[in-house]
Amino acid sequence: MAKKFLPVLLMLILLIAVVGCEKDKETSGNANGSGDSKDKVTFTYFNAASPGKDGNTNETTIGKIFEDQTGVNFKTEYLVGDINTKIGTMIASGKYPDVLVPDIAIDKVLDAGAFIDLTELIEEHGPNLKKLYAPHWEQMKDKDGKINFLPFAAKHGYIKDPNITQGAFWIQRGILKEAGYPKIKTLDEYFALIEDYKKKHPEVNGASTIGFSALTYDWRFFALSNVPNHLAGYPNDGEVIVDMKTHKTDVYADNDITKRYMKELNELNSKGLFDKESFVANYDEYLAKLASGRVLGFFDYGWQVQQALDNLKAAGNDDLRYMPLPITFDGEKDQYIDPPAFINNRGVGITVSAKDPVRIIKYFDNMAKEENQKLMFWGIKEETYSVDDKGKFFQTQEQYAKTSDEDFRDKSGLNTFEYYWPMGDMLYSDGNAWVPGKQPEVAQVAYTDGDKAILEAYGVKVFSDLFADPDDRPWYPTWSAVIEQGSDAQIFGQRKTDLTKVYFPKLVLAKPGDFDKVWDEYIKEFNTLDVKALEELMDKVVEDRIKAAAK
Amino acid sequence: MQIGSKAAVKEVIKPSVSISTKSNKSFFQRMMSQKALLAMSLPFLVWLFVFKYVPLWGWSIAFQDFKPARSLFDQEWIGLEHFKFLFTDDNFWRVLRNTIGMSTINLVLGFVTAICLALLINEIRHIKFKKSVQTISYLPHFISWVVAASIVSYSLSLENGIVNIVLVNLGIIDEPILWLGKEKWFWVINGLTEVWKNVGWNTIIYLAAITMIDPEQYEAADIDGASRFQRIRHITLPSLKPTIIILLIMNLGYILESGFEAQYLLGNPMNLSYSENLDIYVLKYGMSMGNFSLATAAGIFKTVVSFIFLFTANHIAKRFDQPRLF
Repeated sequence: MAKKFLPVLLMLILLIAVVGCEKDKETSGNANGSGDSKDKVTFTYFNAASPGKDGNTNETTIGKIFEDQTGVNFKTEYLVGDINTKIGTMIASGKYPDVLVPDIAIDKVLDAGAFIDLTELIEEHGPNLKKLYAPHWEQMKDKDGKINFLPFAAKHGYIKDPNITQGAFWIQRGILKEAGYPKIKTLDEYFALIEDYKKKHPEVNGASTIGFSALTYDWRFFALSNVPNHLAGYPNDGEVIVDMKTHKTDVYADNDITKRYMKELNELNSKGLFDKESFVANYDEYLAKLASGRVLGFFDYGWQVQQALDNLKAAGNDDLRYMPLPITFDGEKDQYIDPPAFINNRGVGITVSAKDPVRIIKYFDNMAKEENQKLMFWGIKEETYSVDDKGKFFQTQEQYAKTSDEDFRDKSGLNTFEYYWPMGDMLYSDGNAWVPGKQPEVAQVAYTDGDKAILEAYGVKVFSDLFADPDDRPWYPTWSAVIEQGSDAQIFGQRKTDLTKVYFPKLVLAKPGDFDKVWDEYIKEFNTLDVKALEELMDKVVEDRIKAAAK
Repeated sequence: MQIGSKAAVKEVIKPSVSISTKSNKSFFQRMMSQKALLAMSLPFLVWLFVFKYVPLWGWSIAFQDFKPARSLFDQEWIGLEHFKFLFTDDNFWRVLRNTIGMSTINLVLGFVTAICLALLINEIRHIKFKKSVQTISYLPHFISWVVAASIVSYSLSLENGIVNIVLVNLGIIDEPILWLGKEKWFWVINGLTEVWKNVGWNTIIYLAAITMIDPEQYEAADIDGASRFQRIRHITLPSLKPTIIILLIMNLGYILESGFEAQYLLGNPMNLSYSENLDIYVLKYGMSMGNFSLATAAGIFKTVVSFIFLFTANHIAKRFDQPRLF
């Protein structure tokens, strides 16, 4: 009996599967709502840029205020899993959420024509948006003159981030303390300090100390390959450096600066100061190593090691925490701090599936008002921040603690609205920082006694005071340039990464006598690549951006 | 289960096709008399068609400059451009070498270890011990590759890795070796990892085949005074031969599938030139660049090679009058 039953069951399952594949009925279509009504309506919002908690914006304090103002609520959904798969599925099905933040997959979304042109909508319904994005209006236009999405962070004025979230050479504070807080600027001084300290302290907490470590895992390899560029006094322009006078771009992976840095690391390695595991450790192992306090120095971007730095801060031993330093080859002027930049390859757009684009753009427009931007980033006056008699925003210890608490941030909406919506950056018209983290008064509230002591020893108020101010670079950052999928420039980029991934470890770990031989081998292979494809494209990007900024 | 069913399909279809040329009447008569069999095979035919033949249509992507979400008529046709890119790229030949190298090692090691373990387990008389050996050897099969790769990379690490500690203490090596940084060792490490993870699982089919052997043969051998080793050599192994050959032929079809996760997770800048395989290459130059056409072209190449391997192996088996797939 069972024998007969099984095939029948299988057949049934198959039938259901086949029938179930029938296409869903399309429900979308751009209904032209009046847009003036305050009727309650819910749209969908998908954020592929970051993980987060799914929910409704009107369940948060700030989102509720916005709903009262516009009648609009967003059902928010965040990325789980692989971004390319998720966005790829959306494109294949042709069904999108009303509002989409596609992050790095934005090219695919644009290729598929999934975003509607916002130009007219903004002209008609978005006076505040227009005002917010006015400084970048020309840069926002696509090749065909359309505005397909609203990039994040329209810059108004300039304020330096008090903390180092970008690149720096980091060194353990205990080393600086023992050496009497010397002012060090060059790479040689930096390595000498580490060498000296390691000799005196071969062990930390019973494990051997590691002189200098590097992160090379997967796509994070740039944490190693970008360094020569920084040491030569350039900001993080990705794979190229841009000449300040001629504005010509140059892929520097085969330049003398790269050779010099590799040679320095090679010498470091021969002295036993370089962490050999750098080239095999994955990202988690790297972070764990930093948090263990065994590593004396490393180069990385602040945002990439934040987790390890936080762990060290929580552990409370100030000597094991790290201090960021603006190291260059010979004491050149450093450019570690990003120039004021407008990133126009990330943003939020309204999709072709959106039911009522007018209502959505009106919601965005309402958000773009300065008082509402303050609400999104600073929260509610007297509850999450206070204002002194000169109109300066600040946070008390309690307010700082409150806004650092994830639970509170979720409930209030500070997390929901902290990024990924139409937004500005830098300074409000009243001179306050757009986001609390950039207000020096707020940064100082967060400093521990150890932070204050080391800052005082160096005679500065905040960490970034040690770093030089950025020069004006209207093309910055070239890494945000849109490189066409499958183009020669993109293939060059991938091949260059592959080649450097093979040769950099060889260069660093080679016997010092063999270094030049390995370098020549590397250059020989490098010269077979189509480097012009990328440089020509980048020259064009730089030229276009200078033109756009001049308008 | 699947193999059996497919064979059943063939038995039903073949005669009916041949008869249909003779007379329609007897064809329908036959069909009616075998309707139960036909009905049972129908789902598998549908399955085969939907999941194996319909996707073949997607191969056309390889000859286009494919852009998603556009209709077929809006695509640009560029002929063999993508194949040309593949075959002129040094990297492609390097990853091909790695793929074939690693899958050959996996194939040989996988077969030898699984058969040996099956023979050994079969010789264990203590039931509880036997069961626990089996369970322990299966276990790694059920952990995800992410976890497995972490375990491997921690055991091979320079400072606290158990492999280095053991080897140094035994005096086999003087100082710890950065195993995952030795590029040429990667194939071996990958092969051993694969064995550790799957050997228990792979023995199941051999153990099943062993239980089919008639116990009387062993009794007869015992009476003739055969030792344990002789019984394995002259009874167990020959009885396993058909299973081994069929599995070998089937696995030869997967010669270009050397796995993806192990290489991806254990790969690092230092062993890149030996760890990167075809699948990682496709991921890098095809999927993550949005170049689906290239990925498809590589897929077609893989299929063609697998096809050739499978048929050659099957043909050789036929020549030597051994069990074969078809």
